[in-house]
Amino acid sequence: MTPASQPEVPAIEAIDLVRTYRTHTGVIRRRPLHVEAVKGVSFQVPPGELFGLLGPNGAGKTTTIKMLITLLLPTSGTARVFGHDVVKETTEVRKRIGYVFGGDRGLYDRVSALDNLRYFAELYGVEPADQKRRIAELLDLVGLTGREQEKVEGYSRGMRQRLHVARGLLHDPEVVFLDEPSIGLDPVGARELRVTIKGLVEAGKTVLLTTHYMFEADALCDRIAVINDGRIVALGTGADLKGAVANRTIVEIETFGVAPEAVEALRDDPEVIAVNMEERDQSQILLVQSERGTQITQRLLSRLGETRVGKVVGREPTLEDAYVHLIATTSEADATAARAAAVSV
Amino acid sequence: MEGLARNTRLVWRVWIFTLRSFLASEFFILTAILQPVIFASIAFFLFQAGGDAAGEQTLLYAALGTGMMGVWSTTLFGCGGAIQWHRWEGTLELLVAAPSRYDMVLLGQTLGASTFGFYSILATIVWGMALFGMPLNADFPLLLPVALAVAILSLGCLGMLLATSFVLYRHANALSNLLEYPIWIVTGMVVPLAVLPGWLGPISWFLSPTWAMEAIRGSAIGSEPPILAMVLCLGLAAVYYLMARRVLRFVLDKARRDATLSLA
Repeated sequence: MTPASQPEVPAIEAIDLVRTYRTHTGVIRRRPLHVEAVKGVSFQVPPGELFGLLGPNGAGKTTTIKMLITLLLPTSGTARVFGHDVVKETTEVRKRIGYVFGGDRGLYDRVSALDNLRYFAELYGVEPADQKRRIAELLDLVGLTGREQEKVEGYSRGMRQRLHVARGLLHDPEVVFLDEPSIGLDPVGARELRVTIKGLVEAGKTVLLTTHYMFEADALCDRIAVINDGRIVALGTGADLKGAVANRTIVEIETFGVAPEAVEALRDDPEVIAVNMEERDQSQILLVQSERGTQITQRLLSRLGETRVGKVVGREPTLEDAYVHLIATTSEADATAARAAAVSV
Repeated sequence: MEGLARNTRLVWRVWIFTLRSFLASEFFILTAILQPVIFASIAFFLFQAGGDAAGEQTLLYAALGTGMMGVWSTTLFGCGGAIQWHRWEGTLELLVAAPSRYDMVLLGQTLGASTFGFYSILATIVWGMALFGMPLNADFPLLLPVALAVAILSLGCLGMLLATSFVLYRHANALSNLLEYPIWIVTGMVVPLAVLPGWLGPISWFLSPTWAMEAIRGSAIGSEPPILAMVLCLGLAAVYYLMARRVLRFVLDKARRDATLSLA
């Protein structure tokens, strides 16, 4: 068999991963509680792909990542990075992966960025002769050249995040795990970070990205897995996922102080498929989905009655609409199954 | 051989980084320098008020003892909380997820803490010389730096054992406070072991600060070279390190099972 005909080893492979947390309730009469954070997650990421893991808070994204990067033991199931088991071959896995998470933590604030990078370069096994060059390259990549002598405690959030990225790439890992790296960044910082992430894939890295931002996932990811309540509920390209709502049209209605009854009135319209609401500072945005080609805007406005209405826009469905649809339908299905189970008991 | 060179370099670099971090911390500067100077002043006044006949020798005895009290405090708080602090700062996961051996990283950190503690001895000696006219004559001047190095190593290894054990307990800080004063007394830092109840002797034998104190005092004001104290110090350091490695393996496995590497 020639090397070309050999099956390619996936960069990341998760097979039926399950993770249960044990906790307890009560203070005096403590009762054990088992929380299933991940309930059988399976996927494969080929080398060089940018794979997105999308899901609401508590869906199991970070737990999945932490199992893949050897920081958490799976309760059951298997995971491998370039064929190395994350439980039994931790050193081999750790040599090949970089891990970057969002937020303020994870850096030594009282010393300079350069000291941080030198320290982690040593920990990540970068050869002493290569450290200076590698650190300079990464400072340049993340745009911190000239600021490296400053203490990290004086860094802005965006600068800290860029330093995190540089730290995660020090040992030139083959696989990079980015856990909500753009959280808390301003739009310019987030855009710069997206450029950096694109650059990683162009350089041949495999990237697993978790994010809350749909446009970020849509713009960056080759494939996306939507995870909800510990399960993958959809997996495919952005276009595949958008296909779930492709035959729909979206009407966005800005309202001020809309009453729950008015929202229910919209849902009661026979041509409305779904209504979701986003709270803004002073207003609420109602996202009304209906079959493509239906003209229901005037009827929707009349159903809102006395509600103060601002901007009204009709548009094509986005990945975010597909995501909201997926999360809403799977959560509803789970709730129905739970009710059915309760009735049968 | 390559692995040994790599791990030695790792410990060395972590040691340097830890020292730099301590130098940027007001808390540790106060613990390592101000606190022993205060203790030293009290000790000097007490010895002077007692009309001590031994004079200069006793002043140096007191300076080294109070200096070691500072060393122990820094080791206890610096090492005892080493893992916990990294957990709070969100760096513990990064250290554990690194391909380097975490026991080597932790050893570098605890050696850094114990080394920083030795500022205490320097501070008390300078203080004693400046204010109390204490002379600085070491009976075995070549052995004194060796004794100091051995003491740093043994306290660093003891610190590593403390760090790995304390991380199992949520209220390790309270445990640190509890261990500060008794160790000062039971290892002969404050008063000679000979004046303490006999049953405390066997306890002190298993604590490396006892032998570290004896090695340092023996080199400075001893009648014979404190070789045995140094050997015992090194032996205990090896035992502490091996115990710490076992506890660390257990702690890391437990943390990966219970998801406690991060507080986030």
